[in-house]
Amino acid sequence: MISVANLKKSYGDHTVLDGVSIEIQRGEVVAMIGPSGAGKSTLLRCLNLLERPDSGRITIGDTVVDLPAKIPVRTLETLRKTAGMVFQSFNLFPHLSVLRNVSLAQEYVLGRDAKAAHQRSMELLERVGLADKAGSYPARLSGGQQQRIAIARALAMEPEVMLFDEPTSALDPELGLDVLAVMRELAASGMTMVVVTHEIHFAQDVSDRVVMMADGGIIEQGDPAQVLSSPANPRTQRFLKAVIDR
Amino acid sequence: MIPLDVLGNAIVMTVVITVSSFLIGAILGVPLVLLRTSRFGVVRVLTRALIDVLRGVPPVVWIFILYFGVSSDVIKLDPLTAAIGGLGVISCAYLAEIYRGGLLSVHAGQTEAAQALGFGQVGIFTRIVAPQAFRVCLPSAATYGIGLLKDSSLASTIGVAEIAFRATAQARSGGDGITPFVIAGVLYIALSMPLAYLSRTLDTKLRMKVSV
Amino acid sequence: MNGLIEQWIDWLPSLVDGLGVSVQLAVVSLLIGLPLGLAEALLVASPNRIVRWITLAVVEFGRGTPTLVLLYLIYYGLPSQGLVLPAFGSAVVALSFMTGAYTSEIIRASLQAVPRGLVEAAAALGINRWGTFRFILFPEGIRIAIPALMGFAIQLFQTTSLVFLITLPELLSRAYSIGSTTFQYTSVLALAGVLYLLVTLPSGWLAALLEKRMGRHLA
Repeated sequence: MISVANLKKSYGDHTVLDGVSIEIQRGEVVAMIGPSGAGKSTLLRCLNLLERPDSGRITIGDTVVDLPAKIPVRTLETLRKTAGMVFQSFNLFPHLSVLRNVSLAQEYVLGRDAKAAHQRSMELLERVGLADKAGSYPARLSGGQQQRIAIARALAMEPEVMLFDEPTSALDPELGLDVLAVMRELAASGMTMVVVTHEIHFAQDVSDRVVMMADGGIIEQGDPAQVLSSPANPRTQRFLKAVIDR
Repeated sequence: MIPLDVLGNAIVMTVVITVSSFLIGAILGVPLVLLRTSRFGVVRVLTRALIDVLRGVPPVVWIFILYFGVSSDVIKLDPLTAAIGGLGVISCAYLAEIYRGGLLSVHAGQTEAAQALGFGQVGIFTRIVAPQAFRVCLPSAATYGIGLLKDSSLASTIGVAEIAFRATAQARSGGDGITPFVIAGVLYIALSMPLAYLSRTLDTKLRMKVSV
Repeated sequence: MNGLIEQWIDWLPSLVDGLGVSVQLAVVSLLIGLPLGLAEALLVASPNRIVRWITLAVVEFGRGTPTLVLLYLIYYGLPSQGLVLPAFGSAVVALSFMTGAYTSEIIRASLQAVPRGLVEAAAALGINRWGTFRFILFPEGIRIAIPALMGFAIQLFQTTSLVFLITLPELLSRAYSIGSTTFQYTSVLALAGVLYLLVTLPSGWLAALLEKRMGRHLA
């Protein structure tokens, strides 16, 4: 479903991604862990080209992007339609109601008529447990509610892949639980997911594979139970110890 | 063309009006902001009303009131004094509000920390709050100064021989209605540049010293 | 005191007419100047360097030159180029030009103040550049700009007092002409001041109220 080959990205002298390669199967849930500055978020943001990698190849579904060549607008749009994204800071549009947040891109990008978009939006809001908030504005909602709506908004584009960039990091632990529950349900339904996270429990329970990144590269990956309980790489051991001791 | 010495005098006059009225405002703004943030509600409300009235009437009206009104009824004011007085009175209202914005921007924790260290009221204000507030005020005060430079052209309406006045005289006598005003416009922009530059460099210097 | 009130009642109709002219002038200049400001804000960000520089020069001239000079430039300058405008037209041209320059800076800063994350979220949903501008940047940016734009509108209204210079019968010019016939300058100018306040004070309060409400909404 997703294939990344030798992806490189640097800001000036600072190398953020140092030739990363990874394959992700359809329906697979991959949790990416690692210290901050490891390049996890950059890798995720490169997948839908919010960041432009310097070189390498990205394939998502049928869309192939070869860098550093110029990316046609068409390719960019298809790629972003195929991959939905959920941000750490939700990024709901504050001037639009919850319903409008979810339906805007359906109408403008997918060309759905208002009635169909409305109906699909309500289904998704139902699914994340917030149908009663359809008429509210984002500022009135808790962070956890906003993030669930952001998930509904991304799902409304009928993506084949969902990318999550630290979806619970900006939330109180309690509020994060509702978001994680929605993500669990999504994983169970067979969605392909890439999740950058600090939630070791979530990685353990829900993911099919844990990928440990450090210094711009993948240093260890595999079965969650194995990577998280008996990591081979000393860097991973140190990182997990720090997370658990916290 | 306008003789150079006449032009020079006009530029000097513009600078004199701007600087004098700014200084009046900068000085009178201090007591005004203290009254505006007074402990007594009545004083606060009255000061706020005064500031609102000063800012709510067009500057040229204040200049006219001083020059045609007060001056003919009470004492004789020459045009330059009336212009500086009018603009000065307005600036003290604007600058008081700018000072207030600066004071408000200093975090309450700073006062509390100073109190915890045993600073007195005066010490807290002069050593802790005022220096930080000053930094915050500086860009707005400079912007206001540039606005005042442009407002100094209002003095031409009561016959002060500054840049706009000379440009008008030249246009009327020379028959060319464009060149004198374009030159005047460019002169004003050129005069505002040092102010903008000063504000930017002072801002960076102070930012390094007092990083907020 | 009674004399003063009688005087004021005598003068009021003429001054109120003048106030009407001032308000009209401000409104027309805003109606022309605001779209101009939006256009200038967008052109200043143009990828074409020449377009960018020309727009920047226009904006800087409009902001850096006293409005009084702009007004004279239009009123005395255009006829010497063979284009004669009535006083009201000249005033509208000068004030719209100045409005465009000032509001373009307000709008540009507000568009830049729209959180990057919202633009990224729109991109991630596959919304193109025009859609992002139309549905996200523009509405968000205008919301951020409104308090500053209202503040500017109040300034603009005050600036209309300058057009007495080109013999347009607005509030100040009426007050001045009453003053020059009665020599009651202080009294009539004070009344004019009160009339200006009747517009600027409530508008100022409204602007402050809006700013507070917006702040709450955006939080």
